[in-house]
Amino acid sequence: MSPRPVKLAALALLLLLPMVAGAAPKQLVLLFTGDNGGEVAPCG
Amino acid sequence: MIEKERKQGAPVLVLDAGNALFKSRDSAAAPDARARAELILSQMDAQGTAAMAVGTRDLGLGVDFLQAQTRKAKLKLLSANLVDAQEKRLFPASMVTKLQGVSVGVVGVSPETPKPVPVGIPAKGAPQELVRGLPGDALVAAEVRRLRTESKVDIVVVLAAVPYDEALRLADQVEGVDFVVQSHDGRPPGYAQKQGQATVIPPGDRGRQLAKLVLQVAGKGRFEDAAEQDRMRQSLRLLDDNLARAKKRLASSQDAGEKRALEQSVASLEARQASLRETLAGGATGGGRTHLLSYIQLGSDVPADPAVQKRVERVEPPGSAAH
Repeated sequence: MSPRPVKLAALALLLLLPMVAGAAPKQLVLLFTGDNGGEVAPCG
Repeated sequence: MIEKERKQGAPVLVLDAGNALFKSRDSAAAPDARARAELILSQMDAQGTAAMAVGTRDLGLGVDFLQAQTRKAKLKLLSANLVDAQEKRLFPASMVTKLQGVSVGVVGVSPETPKPVPVGIPAKGAPQELVRGLPGDALVAAEVRRLRTESKVDIVVVLAAVPYDEALRLADQVEGVDFVVQSHDGRPPGYAQKQGQATVIPPGDRGRQLAKLVLQVAGKGRFEDAAEQDRMRQSLRLLDDNLARAKKRLASSQDAGEKRALEQSVASLEARQASLRETLAGGATGGGRTHLLSYIQLGSDVPADPAVQKRVERVEPPGSAAH
């Protein structure tokens, strides 16, 4: 294989890598509060 | 505590389901009510709360107060159905934020009122401010559709500052919602409840805990409860063991009656095994999206921030009746 196709194959692989990485699940954390009812201290 | 979560690495979105500011609908006239509400709003903003739904117990000092307090804040107050006397919407219906490439749409909804209701503290000689909660389901549905089609969000969270039965109805009937986080009745922490295509989340109450929902997001589709999947995997392991034992006994049995009984048991266990495997595979391939709910308790073991503590003590001095 001449150097040019090798370079192109490597470039294609590099371009594909983010797509492969994108397929993995992403983890997010949602934090919720609610019904605080005017509390400003744990005992208040 | 929120900072600690942020340092774990995964992107964090903080949201409030509403009813944050006053003890009751009529408690805003108390001498310390305004200072409390101001402190809560500014702290929520400082802690990076992205949005809050406007609930009945947030309207004690009126709409102007809320708008003035959040004008320069990053915290967004949301309500798809709260309108003034001319039926003009008072707050944005939704907001969109992006976390690690995942787009999250957040919609707020307030309680429905059959007619306009007075809010705020009446001033002498001035008419009292009136607001109305329009029927929420249709307005939330329209906003969710818009978020899905125009904003192309990946996840929709509804902050529902409405009674529990209204939140369940909304989760059941509005398409395209992933999570409904409900406040209004001061319900204690609970479990993630499947309702229609959505999951209803209790956020806890009175600032005593943070509800933590860890999402694994891959592809599209409905979120499955990771805790339920764990329980199913455990059941499957138990079933595999029982099936292996039954098959071993069947192979060594010489009695025709016992053989028949064992064959029936093996067939029944295999049917159950196939069904569980199918359910688990469906959960894994139907989008690869899971959620796992837990609570972080905020007790006296969580150290107070000295600067915040000072502000709290100005509103609620140590040894005061509220302590």
